[in-house]
Amino acid sequence: MNMRWIVLSQAAMNEHPTPSASSGQALATKIQAWRRWGTLCLLAALALHAEARTRPHYGGTLRVEMEGDAWQQNVTQAGGLGGPMARRLIFDGLTRVDLDGTVRPSLAVRWTSENSDRRWQFWLRPGVHFQDGSPLNVAVVATSLTGSCGAACPWTAVRAVGSSVVFTSDSPMPNLPTLLAGDDFSIVHFASTGADAAPQPTPLLGSFVGTGAFEAVGFSSGVLTLMANDSCWEGRPFLDKIEVTGHKSIRDQWLDLSLGRADLVEVPAEQLRQAREQRLTVVVSGPASLLTLAVADGGVLSDANLRAAIALAVDRSSLSNVIFQKQGEITASLLPAALTGYGFLFPADRDVNKARELRGGLTPPALTISTDGGAQMQLASQRIALNLREAGFNVQVAPPGPVHHADMVLLRLTLASNQPQAALESLLRGVGVGSPVVEDTSAGLYKVEREFLQTHTLVPLLYLPRAYALGGRVRDLSLSADGMPLLADVSLQDAP
Amino acid sequence: MKRVGLVLLVANCLIGLAGLAAPAPSKWQGPAAELAEQVAGIVGPGQVRLTIRNASSISTDEIPKIRTLLEEDLKAHGVLTSGAESANAIRVTLSENTRERLWVAEVIEGNQRQVAMVHVEPEMVRQAQAGTGLTLRKQSVLTTKDPVLAALETGEGLVVVEPEEIVIYSHAAEGWREQKRVAIGQRKPLPRDPRGVIVPSRGGEGFEAFVAGMVCDGSYAKGTMDGGWTVRCREGDDPWQLSVPLSLQTAATKQSENIEVTPLKAFYNSSRDYFTGVLAPSLGADLPQFYTAAIVPRPAGSGSLAALLVNGIDGKVQLTETSVLKPVSGARDWGSDFAVLNTGCGAGAPVVASGSGEAIADSLRAYDLPAQEAIPASAPLAMDGTVMALWTAPDGKSVLAVVRTPANQGAANEYEVDRVVASCNE
Repeated sequence: MNMRWIVLSQAAMNEHPTPSASSGQALATKIQAWRRWGTLCLLAALALHAEARTRPHYGGTLRVEMEGDAWQQNVTQAGGLGGPMARRLIFDGLTRVDLDGTVRPSLAVRWTSENSDRRWQFWLRPGVHFQDGSPLNVAVVATSLTGSCGAACPWTAVRAVGSSVVFTSDSPMPNLPTLLAGDDFSIVHFASTGADAAPQPTPLLGSFVGTGAFEAVGFSSGVLTLMANDSCWEGRPFLDKIEVTGHKSIRDQWLDLSLGRADLVEVPAEQLRQAREQRLTVVVSGPASLLTLAVADGGVLSDANLRAAIALAVDRSSLSNVIFQKQGEITASLLPAALTGYGFLFPADRDVNKARELRGGLTPPALTISTDGGAQMQLASQRIALNLREAGFNVQVAPPGPVHHADMVLLRLTLASNQPQAALESLLRGVGVGSPVVEDTSAGLYKVEREFLQTHTLVPLLYLPRAYALGGRVRDLSLSADGMPLLADVSLQDAP
Repeated sequence: MKRVGLVLLVANCLIGLAGLAAPAPSKWQGPAAELAEQVAGIVGPGQVRLTIRNASSISTDEIPKIRTLLEEDLKAHGVLTSGAESANAIRVTLSENTRERLWVAEVIEGNQRQVAMVHVEPEMVRQAQAGTGLTLRKQSVLTTKDPVLAALETGEGLVVVEPEEIVIYSHAAEGWREQKRVAIGQRKPLPRDPRGVIVPSRGGEGFEAFVAGMVCDGSYAKGTMDGGWTVRCREGDDPWQLSVPLSLQTAATKQSENIEVTPLKAFYNSSRDYFTGVLAPSLGADLPQFYTAAIVPRPAGSGSLAALLVNGIDGKVQLTETSVLKPVSGARDWGSDFAVLNTGCGAGAPVVASGSGEAIADSLRAYDLPAQEAIPASAPLAMDGTVMALWTAPDGKSVLAVVRTPANQGAANEYEVDRVVASCNE
């Protein structure tokens, strides 16, 4: 530090005017030099007395804004574009996926598998209570898990055995601990409604409770209010309260952030560059969601060659460069290349001639493409439709809103884990392929991917990151493996 | 005798030279042989074109060596790579993912393509530490799956403060063996990052432990039931005792035989997890609210025996000396935990501070504090996880750190109590 001081001092001294300069110029130069000297001194003093890092402060309210609906998008739906931000604060799963993608204990403290992963036993953490004070027990867990997936569960049966929950299946479930970390399998308990139950702020909010760090206590005027759970098994969170305001355009979110009216706002991938140009403090995840085109394998598209032609006709580069402003990672494989190392084996180049050749000169009836995403996804759909028309397909883009039938759907799938085997199974489950991925070597996973992608029912396009911009008082924000902000560990610098 | 010594020396040199002359086995030998075997199994004997693409962090200097190895191994299986005109091609990509290296061979025969892959273990990269005045070393005292807030080694065992229990370990052949657990009995929920302090009792055979809203006293008496330990906990917002190294107590006593070293205590806000800044007895200065405090011995002639170093909740590190609060510079890289270490290497006692980074693996570093500037006195000592607590051992010759190590799959986090000592560099 002393050395820096000396260097700065010498630099400032070298700025002094020479005697040969005229007196007016000399005075101006002298003033300028002293200004620089003063600035350097100030900078040096600031550097010398920079503050050390402290423990996180308790207290304060974090204000989050998002484009979607704060309640619908967070709590009642596990998926969705905005992601289940609040859901993860209210509920816990038996396991969780840590920042490095490794499965960690959560409401289960340990687990074992038997019979080649066909039987799994998870032991519950003792002494955990739901936000309404009722204890976590195996019966509640089994009920919650059974209700979470119905007939599409990865297991055949789940039952309580002592202080543990046992899952059984006819086929191996090697990725069950990772799957149980997913939002679909959060442990939800319907709140007490007896005479001794605490009155709930609204019937909707009071209908279910979790064991997480925050409790939903109010939802009005589009603002979801979450209060710290003082008796959380992981310890009380640092924040007292989180307010999630929905239905805010990105422009309004950024404006509120700049005016100090919001602490955490969304940054869509295509606006990352703009956010940086505006000098926003941005936290960006790695590849978090897979933009993919699901192609129906029935009706007109029951011909595998037509589906293959569609896969070849899509121009990923234009999607990446134009629609997503070069923030996406082009992929033709399901798993990101960084996770596998074999992504290059799936060519992502467009080949319109080959697509036309595969189409065989036939012009199939009009196809529809839809998306349940926002404006950017709609733009991406239109771009894909344009690509397909160039290859001789007749494609219509369905207008925004719910679509009951479409030949192609543009969707985003969440990368749930950094463990390739579990991530692949999770992605496949996301498109309704329920068979477990038992292969755990790179060669085995490549084979699974190749065989699935050869059906051309899913065309991987881009891996997109998730990003958020932060206000100056937000501390210790990290993103989960799938790019969601981990708000339970966030604190505010200016908390009381 | 001299001749024997000379002969041995020459022999050693020769052995050394012989070792240098023999080529060391290449780290790429295994994967190259494995990949060549897989490729030969696909393509069979004959001529092929071999191309290698490096899409990994392997240095380009290594590629010719890898190519040579692959060519030799393929040749051993009857596959010759000299066939520039051959229709069969082997395209090897040296790739990698987040966990390991992956070598992929695409075997192209006409329109057909088959793939072979081998894993290559990543090398362990070890960075040499810069040489400085002190070298910090750590030794593990205890590893447990339960969170540890503080620990104290006494003559009779190891007392560990956990968030909800006091655990007593006794000496055993294999190390520490758990002897007794006593529930602290909190009624209020714990904060998210609970903290605790344990100090020896006045007599030296017991302890006093503080956790949020609770105070526990432990005493040891030989020959009693239940291993000799009696632990009693009660609710209380008593101020927490700041540890005073024995060396400082001894120095104070030496200076004046009549002096009695009064333990310095600090009031703790259990709901906000920091000290309020109120001390008992008062030091005469208005202290800020702080997270950590340590009593630092001051050099002779400085006008005081000791000063109090505090890390305010605003991140400012300040020194309270002769009732005056002075800012400390050079502490920008500090985390929120520090402790004083009596090294015996020089006149002062350096402060060991945790790093300010948010990495999974934390570090500790010693700093000299001759005046109001913290000057690094050692290279950072990498810890195996996040430093959760740090305090000075009662004898002052080491500091103890609680490190939370990342959990393995299917298991909880582990907590390690490490003793950190310093040795003087020659």
